[in-house]
Amino acid sequence: MSLYQLQKLLYHVNRDLSQRERYRQDPAAFVKNYDLSDDETKAALAVDVRALYALGVHSLLLRPFTLLHKVSNEDYAKALKGLE
Amino acid sequence: MPIVFAGAASHAPGMTAWTEAAPKEQADNFLGNYRKLGAMLAAAHPDVIVAFSVEHWANFFLNQMPSFCIGRAEYYEGPIEEWLRIPKARVPGDAKLGVELIDACLDVGFDPSFSDELLLDHATFLPLHFLNPDMAIPVVPVILNTLTPPMPTTKRCFALGKFLGSVLEQNARRVAIIATGGLSHWPGEAKHGKINIPFDKKFLDTLVNGDRTKLTEYSHEEINVEAGSGGHEIRTWIALAGAVQNWKAELLAYEPVVPWATGCGLVAFSK
Repeated sequence: MSLYQLQKLLYHVNRDLSQRERYRQDPAAFVKNYDLSDDETKAALAVDVRALYALGVHSLLLRPFTLLHKVSNEDYAKALKGLE
Repeated sequence: MPIVFAGAASHAPGMTAWTEAAPKEQADNFLGNYRKLGAMLAAAHPDVIVAFSVEHWANFFLNQMPSFCIGRAEYYEGPIEEWLRIPKARVPGDAKLGVELIDACLDVGFDPSFSDELLLDHATFLPLHFLNPDMAIPVVPVILNTLTPPMPTTKRCFALGKFLGSVLEQNARRVAIIATGGLSHWPGEAKHGKINIPFDKKFLDTLVNGDRTKLTEYSHEEINVEAGSGGHEIRTWIALAGAVQNWKAELLAYEPVVPWATGCGLVAFSK
């Protein structure tokens, strides 16, 4: 469980343009800079909204991150259905 | 001159970013009253705006998360969100007043962090868009951690607001205080879109008509369950309630706007 590292990854991509660019160039290499579990790596690389949310990522890190990946409001809500 | 204006307002990004998604009547009523609050602020001719505000991972992260942070920068830039439909701008700061407030806090045993560079997100920039539309009046942000636990208690927020109010009341300049955030909302969560109208109404009723010290009885857990993760932002309103504890208050608008996913409130205070 390395939620701090996972959230740090999202924070950097959301807020730091140079890190975002490095992430865009090569996501698989970028995520190796963070101490993540296999599940976290998988969820981050797949931009798996439901899995990232269930792993405990703060909603105000997750939503901007998913917006960068063009996840619509509808798809975002659908991904979280049943987790209320 | 002392405090010449006090007002509290929600800051849901949908107010500007997707205004049209809201039912027209709700949007017109709320945003019309937001502008009215701006006109009231302008009529008070403040020299400076002290903003009890919050942020959403704009500056602070879990490696360092202050409970309270007071800005002492010469200027602030925002909004950080490209999609907010608010033009990017630089609003002047008031470094001198920022330092005065920090010093005054330290003297009495509040220990805020301080910052010479705060990027402002919609939490501060959206209210400024309506209340300081020319971005001409200098601003001193007082950022409260309402983002991630552990957060300062409502009691502590009230006490900080009360203290800052007493200091500002003695200030030579004309001071406006604004509070921004809330009311109930669950942004980006599975419950996104839920609004707890009874919670919001009770909170507003206590603020406007009741004993404001009762606002310090809200626990973290109660806010979390009843008003959602975004509801924690009512701590800024509670700080303002402390700052102008004996002022009259008027509810300008309350609109639970589902497309903005927020119980939206506007309150003006007067001596």
